[in-house]
Amino acid sequence: MRKISTRVLALSLSTAMAFSMSACGKKDGESATWDMSKKDYVYKDSVPALASYWNPHDWQVDADGYLAQNYILDGLYDFVFNDELHPVEGREDYEGYKVIPAMAASEPVDVTEQIKASHPQFNIPESATSGYAYTIDLNQDACWEDGTPINADTYVYSMQQLLDPKLINYRASDWFSSSPCIAGAEDYFYGGRTVKIANSGDAETMRYQVAELVKGDDGKYTTPEGDAVFIGLKDNYAWMGGNSLSAYQAAGYIPGEGCWDILSAAADAEGYVPVTDEALDALYVFTGSDDWGNESREDLGYYLSVNMTYPEVAYDGNVGLFKSGDYQITIVFAKALSGFQLLYQLSGNWIVYEPYYEACKSEVNGNFTTTYGTSVDTTMSYGPYKLTEYQTDKALKLERNEKWYGYTDDLHKYKDPTDGEVYRMYQTDVIECEVISEMATSKLMFFKGELMTYGLQADDVDAYRNSEYVHITPDETIYFFIFNGFLNTLNEREAAADFDQTKFDLQTMTLTSFRKAIAVTYDKELLCTSISPARSGGYGLIGNAYLYDPETGARYRDTDQAKQVLCDFYSVDVSKFANLDEAVDSITGYDPVAAKELFTEAFNDAIEAGYITDNDGDGKSDQTVRIEYCLSEQSDFITKTVNYLNEKLAEVLVGTPFEGKVEFYESAPYGNEWSSKIRDGLSDVVLGGWGGSALDPFGLTDLYVNPDRAYDGNWFDATSVNLTLTVDIAAIGEPANMQTITMNLRQWSDALNGTTVESSVGPVNFGDGMAEVDTRLTILAGVEGAVLQTYDYIPMLQNAGMSLLSQQVYYVIDEYNPIMGRGGIAYLKYNYTEDEWTKFVSDQGGELSY
Amino acid sequence: MWKYITQRILLMFMTLFIITAMCFVLIRMLPLPPLPAGDTHAEIVVLQREAAGYNKPIPVQFGIFLKNIFTKFDWGVSDKLYIGRDVAATFLEKLPATMIVNLYSIIFSIPIGILLGIFAALKKNTWIDHTISTLTMVVISVPSFVYAFIIQYIFYYKLSLLPALMNSGKDYFTWSMFKSMLPAIMSLSFGVIAGFTRTTRAELTEVLTSEFMLLARTKGLTKTQATIRHAMKNCMVVVLPSIFGEFISILSGSLIIEKIFSVPGIGSLYLNSINAPDYPTFMMLTVFYTTIGLVAGIVVDISYSFIDPRIRMGSKK
Repeated sequence: MRKISTRVLALSLSTAMAFSMSACGKKDGESATWDMSKKDYVYKDSVPALASYWNPHDWQVDADGYLAQNYILDGLYDFVFNDELHPVEGREDYEGYKVIPAMAASEPVDVTEQIKASHPQFNIPESATSGYAYTIDLNQDACWEDGTPINADTYVYSMQQLLDPKLINYRASDWFSSSPCIAGAEDYFYGGRTVKIANSGDAETMRYQVAELVKGDDGKYTTPEGDAVFIGLKDNYAWMGGNSLSAYQAAGYIPGEGCWDILSAAADAEGYVPVTDEALDALYVFTGSDDWGNESREDLGYYLSVNMTYPEVAYDGNVGLFKSGDYQITIVFAKALSGFQLLYQLSGNWIVYEPYYEACKSEVNGNFTTTYGTSVDTTMSYGPYKLTEYQTDKALKLERNEKWYGYTDDLHKYKDPTDGEVYRMYQTDVIECEVISEMATSKLMFFKGELMTYGLQADDVDAYRNSEYVHITPDETIYFFIFNGFLNTLNEREAAADFDQTKFDLQTMTLTSFRKAIAVTYDKELLCTSISPARSGGYGLIGNAYLYDPETGARYRDTDQAKQVLCDFYSVDVSKFANLDEAVDSITGYDPVAAKELFTEAFNDAIEAGYITDNDGDGKSDQTVRIEYCLSEQSDFITKTVNYLNEKLAEVLVGTPFEGKVEFYESAPYGNEWSSKIRDGLSDVVLGGWGGSALDPFGLTDLYVNPDRAYDGNWFDATSVNLTLTVDIAAIGEPANMQTITMNLRQWSDALNGTTVESSVGPVNFGDGMAEVDTRLTILAGVEGAVLQTYDYIPMLQNAGMSLLSQQVYYVIDEYNPIMGRGGIAYLKYNYTEDEWTKFVSDQGGELSY
Repeated sequence: MWKYITQRILLMFMTLFIITAMCFVLIRMLPLPPLPAGDTHAEIVVLQREAAGYNKPIPVQFGIFLKNIFTKFDWGVSDKLYIGRDVAATFLEKLPATMIVNLYSIIFSIPIGILLGIFAALKKNTWIDHTISTLTMVVISVPSFVYAFIIQYIFYYKLSLLPALMNSGKDYFTWSMFKSMLPAIMSLSFGVIAGFTRTTRAELTEVLTSEFMLLARTKGLTKTQATIRHAMKNCMVVVLPSIFGEFISILSGSLIIEKIFSVPGIGSLYLNSINAPDYPTFMMLTVFYTTIGLVAGIVVDISYSFIDPRIRMGSKK
């Protein structure tokens, strides 16, 4: 649904390779539009897995995004490069972007005041004057590939189907769980359904305190409204870092007698135990124990689920997306949305073709399913291309959709920066996409001229890094080592019968001194060169691609606050450099001398803590610290990584008490369970990272302080770490009011992301639009620095992709733009037609040279 | 004989039911994939699972599964791999590609393998036998994906004689499609040829030294006559079941070869259905392959009596 998000975020995926293309066209003076009958320009694409379900309401996996987000559909608004035809004040051509109406006819019009008065059911806050309701005029030239017009009814029908409680569409929550949040959407979706919802969704607040619950005659507690309350043995609670009581019981944490035996006996088939005094007492046996952390009786509320009953409601009049004209819709949001974010969220679309949608629905045993978007016959395009061929797990073909309005309007044109001519976008006539699982095959086909791109592998980089056809595409993700610090689990693992404590040790890896030593053991740039040459060294938690201001393209990593964090973390004395930039440039993160000292310090710490021994008094550890590298599946990359880690570690350990006594080894392949293995402390280290919206670095803080999401949520309590910052607490536009505030990391993160938090100077909220951006950057940098100091995350690699582009095509703009990428297939330009290309390849002897 | 066959068929159905029930229960006892922490779709996944009946007791789920099959021959809708699609229809859509590639492979490789085996046996302990036997061992020892890459590199990249991948489309019986299948067929065939060569050579070598072969020659038959009429027939007692076995493998496909040559078949379907997990797909494939395996067992057993009348199935003596 979020097209731009895909362009920016999924560039490392081969499914989005087309989007990393750029610039092209047809001279506007030559023809009014493209010749739809020609097939001169064929984009030959490949993917490791083909889309199989591109229903815009229910698609679920990345591979499906190839069609569910691209080519065959179109957003209400499109992003294009800024140029003379799409000027942006103060920006050079092709340095930024311009939002143009696409399926919409014009910019959204804010009608908050009117809707507040006319539709009180949407509960727009009395104080709000803008940002909650908009009318959008629709493009009257837009139609389906069969010529059927797309009007307001299409949008309303589609949203009603998307949110239909019977269809349970996967994408429904995209429209009410965060942003955009359409008024009434959640109530309509859950209407008529009783849903067991966690009493605490954020491990911080509760819907109902235990003391508020009302005891019935049968001894069972309910909410004051009379809704049943349960202890959910199988529910994943935020309070437990997203794990369930059952999982802890299976891991041996919860005693049977007097506790689990009572709970499990009272549970129904789904693991729900009615809340009674006996059940609460049984639960408290271990939550109140020393091992569990002596939780209070009030904390029992975090283990409860509440039966919430949503009354059935009609769509019309209750959901904030309705028709206000034949070609006009009105959208009402439950949370204010405006500016860039509004247009960004509306750059996707949700419409479906009603006749097909209805025909594809079926009911089996009361379960509704749909085959919409699974074949050519169940797909109706309204974007620049239409699906003409599809074979499951094999190939698909897209051809020009001659009914697309963009081929004849004045907006989908650009001025070529090289020759100054105006061209139409979308020179590509046909897109052919085939499944190719083996990179070796892709490589052969690329060099035979049968593919447009080839993502370079580690072995290729030396040969092609200087090729004029190579393109580096930055990515937002930083890969860091996530180190096991879950001492309880490590103790359990060491106590296991098959673990020889005289020879091996696990606990030492929890020591900060040990982690610090590991952090400076590896030359990150050398690591990249050795195992993943397209990437570069990673130094902070937040990657280079994150923009704190999408409108200007300003990057977080370029700010003084972000630079200072790195200098502090890597102990760089800024005063020794001419400026902050030079100080940051000096950071390598590699210091083998310091590493040796830190390993010696770690040895002493470990001896003192009783983790290891030195019985023979030779000043060396008797035990080998074994660190399990967590695998999802076996791969050459992992083997190479682990070998590299051991090799460099062995070099640094020479002459230290851990010489030959620390080793990484590969785990069994854990598949999708790898992240829970890390979270539960059952595996020790992994090179992992977070993707996410590159346009919102502020939202990343939650990933590190929220136990529901953090990898180290089981052993790191962000509420126990205080951070003191001096920040401006004044609202935007008001005179600065600098205050020194001390709050825990969780509070800072929540405040940064729009929650009002109580502080020593009163309630504070540093959310988007609530505080000056400089203040927000200071907080973001503060939280980043504090999390780095835990050494639970050791930054290693900045992700990026390196690929070769076929000589058949080229980018109008080589420079990568964080918002636009390189313009996608709209801006792709061809050097050769298919016939010319075939001859060219043949003239080269059938093998191309790059 | 008929009584024996009837007994075997009844036993087959009972076995099929037990295996189906066991697989159904075991796969449903596996914990569902954990919900991604912090994902806003998690609650919807819970609702979808509930709607799909995964929260019902397993015996109830099994009852619904059987009811749908017996009343509507409905194997369910995929909820992970090919969301929303009928699992049987998806399987049948993908089956032909696997079958045809494997069928071509067998059609080419079995005669070649048997002929090479016969030739080696007849030329036992000559340089021809040594050469064939050595090559056979080499071919058997090297995994098929190695041939696959070599074939792709030589015939596609260097010589431009064959395409890198199987063509898309379902026109399986055109020259263009056949040509595009050749790399996969060749990769699959090497191993089969080597296997049949080795089996045939070993069996025929033993048979050729039997006393009845000496008797046949003393009766005045030529070596060729004796070999064809007597030796080959005895040799086939072992070779023929292997041929049946190969035909059964037509329906399973090769995970690696299909991946390398982009054959849109079923080679990885079973494994993917377990990893996903996609219960409806897994159960449909389990029942299908179990049935094929059981039927094949009966057919092979019965075939012995046709190949060698001395073998009597179901005889008490």
